[in-house]
Amino acid sequence: MSLIKKSQDISPPVLEENRRTPRDRAGLLSQLENDAPDIRRWAALDLVEFPDTAEVLCAQLAQETQTPVREALLTTLIKIGNPIVVNRLIPLLRSEDAALRNLVIEALQQLPEAVAPHMKEMLRDPDADYRIFSINVLDNLKHPQAPAWLQEVVEKDDNINVCAAAVEVLAEVGSAEVIPALSTLPERFDNDPFMEFCVQTAIRRIQGNGNRI
Amino acid sequence: MNSPAAPTISEEEFQKFRDFFYRKTGIYFEENKRYFVDKRLIERIKATDNETFRNYFVMLRFETSGKELQQLINLMTVNETYFFREEYQFTCLVKSVLADILPRKRCGEPIRIWSIPSSSGEEPYSLAIYLLEYWPQVNAYDIELIASDIDTEILKKARQGRYDQRSISHLPAHLLHKHFTTTANGAYQISDDLRNSIDFTQVNITDLNQMRIYRNFDVVFCRNLLIYFDDTSRRIAAEALFNALRPGGFICLGHSESMSRITPLFKIRKFPEAIIYQKPLR
Ligand SMILES: C[S@@+](CC[C@H](N)C(=O)[O-])C[C@H]1O[C@@H](n2cnc3c(N)ncnc32)[C@H](O)[C@@H]1O
Repeated sequence: MSLIKKSQDISPPVLEENRRTPRDRAGLLSQLENDAPDIRRWAALDLVEFPDTAEVLCAQLAQETQTPVREALLTTLIKIGNPIVVNRLIPLLRSEDAALRNLVIEALQQLPEAVAPHMKEMLRDPDADYRIFSINVLDNLKHPQAPAWLQEVVEKDDNINVCAAAVEVLAEVGSAEVIPALSTLPERFDNDPFMEFCVQTAIRRIQGNGNRI
Repeated sequence: MNSPAAPTISEEEFQKFRDFFYRKTGIYFEENKRYFVDKRLIERIKATDNETFRNYFVMLRFETSGKELQQLINLMTVNETYFFREEYQFTCLVKSVLADILPRKRCGEPIRIWSIPSSSGEEPYSLAIYLLEYWPQVNAYDIELIASDIDTEILKKARQGRYDQRSISHLPAHLLHKHFTTTANGAYQISDDLRNSIDFTQVNITDLNQMRIYRNFDVVFCRNLLIYFDDTSRRIAAEALFNALRPGGFICLGHSESMSRITPLFKIRKFPEAIIYQKPLR
């Protein structure tokens, strides 16, 4: 028979390449700067044991170019998920690197409690693009305040693209309460046909969602 | 008449428990699982002679053996599975995937296949049967089949290899006759040869340290597990599977699960029989 059972093989003593170098805090931090992506990736994963390295991990995320290492850094940062991580990640939303921005959005979406205290300020930033990225965070943020934050954007923000982004997310997460705010939105933009269309679609979606429950 | 009132679980307690259980297993219970969770929690509160959730929860968090946590895990996991579930992926393995892997094998190097989570064993035994029956080169290679799950009770069942009618209903009759015997009470007992061809081990896929020793797999079947996880646990599991695979190794997920939505770590490979994921060669 060709199927063989090899219990001893599943538990090799300990992993060679992984243990060749010390797995303590200092050892891992120096491996985070190693030239070999695989070593950097393993250091990023193992540093989850040292939440106080969050700042270094965020700095590394901003300059790392290899996808697997970036992904590992992100996984560890989400797992650490403390306010320091969020404080360091939020400014990266201003990066010119779209791929990095998307990673940051993904991470923030998974840290609703730590992100919540920053949200109002993020949505009032003078930079419209930055406000749109903040709305992207809300797109998948499991936080009870999300619809209220978006409603405020719809009521107050004077940039049409920012409002359109908020409307799109409200279509997913909004309930009947936001419909009045949505209905008056096109007026604020001279009944712009694109905005009319977005709002109508969103209202239909929200009403449809209600029917389903 | 003196029997104490059944313990109850408040909303706040449910949330406390949910967060604790999530940190331990990666499994996230949405609000709509409340009834399922409460029922099992109350069962354990009573079984451990605690009167309230509060007392039970203190015990659960501070016990050093981890025994009660394991009991809870065994109760809270959904173990639904059956032989030849999503058979097209097994067909893909014998018709396409193995042929893709073989050119990278050094002489004498075994082919390593992992079923995680294996639940009661139907999936890894299906793999063994499929390889023996439908892969013509099966005798030319050493094949290691490893099967793992977080649930220690279900692993006992898996090692035992005894199944009811529901489990085997998708299995062709001739294979049932060939690899099983019928027991006195109408159950189907899988052959000792098959039982002895699989290593069953306990592991929590979201525990980086436990997962560290699982390496160098050519193919991983990770089906119908990620659906119980939230985005963060899925991401942690994806990293762990990446670590477990050889470069060029493959992952099969359940039909409603998607790796692309979790991470760009893997490439999509389209074979005639199925679309699966591959760890890049370089
Ligand atoms: C629905 S079964 C899937 C079985 C089989 N793969 C299939 O598709 O038929 C899900 C299994 O996942 C296991 N499981 C849940 N959380 C786990 C974890 N963190 N690590 C490993 N296994 C886990 C459960 O114990 C359960 O047996």
